[in-house]
Amino acid sequence: MTTAAAHPDRRPHPAQQHQAQQHPYRVTPTRVLRSEWHKLRSLRSSWITMGSAAVLMLAVGLVMGTTYTSDGGDSDVDTVVLVLYGSVLSTLCTVVLGILVTAGEYSTGLIRASLAAVPRRLPVLWAKAAVFAVSVFVATLTTALLTFLAAQFFLHDTDQAASLGDPGVFGAIVGNSAGITLLSLIALGLGALLRSVPGAIGTYIGGVLILPEVLSMLPYDAVESAVKYFPTQAAGVLGSATPLEGDASAGGALLALCLWAGASLGTAALLLRRRDA
Amino acid sequence: MIRAYELTKKYGDNTVVQDLDFTVRPGTVTGFLGPNGAGKSTTMRMLLGLDAPTRGRSTIGGRAYTAHNAPLTEVGALLEARSVHPGRTAFNHLMALAHTHGIPRGRVEHVLDLAGLTAVAHKRVKGFSLGMGQRLGIAAALLGDPATLILDEPVNGLDPEGVLWVRNLLRSLARQGRTVLVSSHLMSEMALTADHLVIIGRGRLLADTTVTEFVATAGGTSVKVVTPQPDALRELLTGPGIDITTDSAASPDELDIRGTDAAHIGRTAAAHAIPLYELTPRTASLEQAFMDLTQESVEYRITTPEPTGALA
Repeated sequence: MTTAAAHPDRRPHPAQQHQAQQHPYRVTPTRVLRSEWHKLRSLRSSWITMGSAAVLMLAVGLVMGTTYTSDGGDSDVDTVVLVLYGSVLSTLCTVVLGILVTAGEYSTGLIRASLAAVPRRLPVLWAKAAVFAVSVFVATLTTALLTFLAAQFFLHDTDQAASLGDPGVFGAIVGNSAGITLLSLIALGLGALLRSVPGAIGTYIGGVLILPEVLSMLPYDAVESAVKYFPTQAAGVLGSATPLEGDASAGGALLALCLWAGASLGTAALLLRRRDA
Repeated sequence: MIRAYELTKKYGDNTVVQDLDFTVRPGTVTGFLGPNGAGKSTTMRMLLGLDAPTRGRSTIGGRAYTAHNAPLTEVGALLEARSVHPGRTAFNHLMALAHTHGIPRGRVEHVLDLAGLTAVAHKRVKGFSLGMGQRLGIAAALLGDPATLILDEPVNGLDPEGVLWVRNLLRSLARQGRTVLVSSHLMSEMALTADHLVIIGRGRLLADTTVTEFVATAGGTSVKVVTPQPDALRELLTGPGIDITTDSAASPDELDIRGTDAAHIGRTAAAHAIPLYELTPRTASLEQAFMDLTQESVEYRITTPEPTGALA
């Protein structure tokens, strides 16, 4: 529109012009972010997975709110945990989306076009992770706040009545969203390093969901304390308004979860640099 | 300008590309030929920095592909396998690529128009035919208005009209001074499109020549003659520019004569009372010459020196 380059036929000597490097076009980190944002929002599967995540969290929250009775034996359950019980299901949706964002490019072959456009490669991974993390965090936090308020509408006359201003409640809701975001980032990294959608989903289920359950059955104290810092356990701590005895501290859990996500993305970055696309 | 220096790719013990040295010059269409599995696609992926060579290197526009700040303006590529997410629309696919370079929406619409995809720009690629997919790939290659084009089998799946479109497009891009490297396993198609040929077989360079040269050496016409007196006829016909060969082991009576026509051979034989059992003009096909060349890949090699300069 604004450049002569929009009309290739008008340029007499492209080779010479290129030597002068007069093109306004250049790859910048901001532009790669923009590209990844465009990619994320231009796929129907992104909207379906994110929409399902929101609907599941809201629906489970409403069921919890409407069916709760003070004498039902759940009064010791954390208020935020109870209301956001749907997080378990919505995390599965965002995890799948995280895997689709990276592994999906390999299964369709799009990765070759992406890496040919950004041959330094790593900006593509960082941009994917950043765009995805911000989207998941914002969407999840919005949904979680809505769910909490909607559920509390029904809980106001029970022993689970709480407000956003109560100690730990707002922090736990934010923590819940941060936890979901970081778990999904682990999945995004797995997708990038395994380059296969089913492979990454299987690995996530086996490694992140099942492995700690198996390990915690072992009769060793050291294993038991280590399992507290595993991704799902750490995310659980972040989403609780009142810390349980024996759980990791919120700070420790956040740090652990960041390290897990960092390890997943770091390994993916290392392999992305080395491997043939 | 594309240059490859001893480009080599091994997967374990399997050498896919070995010591490839070639130069692709601007202003011409260079056909990159070889049978399936010859290493064409691997070579192209190495040129684009997608696969790392085991040994050797390549440059495009004087620099390694990965060293360019705006690679899409330097090289436009169409890769053999589709590299599009089927769930995205053609427009969104191109727009996502365009964003990485700050290429405006107008340019995306322009290349969609150029490729004849405007009507389906907002349809998901999932429903595209093979030909439409190829057109989208070519539109993506043109997106950055690149000085060099690398196209892997661009006419694959195109209907005759599409083939003609690609042929004219490539020629006009070359006329604008661009470097065009286009791979194919069809010699006949390349003879119509390319000016220059780089032929590989089993990962090795077999020929780096012009189409004219290749046609002259490999595709000339000859006359098949069967006579009981081959030696006598050979003696009578021998002269400058005339080449007579015979497969003496299999059929000593059969001669393959180049450089003259059937009429001259027939008159000469009649004048000297040499009986002819057969006199058949033959046009060796380019396809046949190409197959002969690539079948004996490893031993056989023709290299015609470039008039504009020696190979690097």
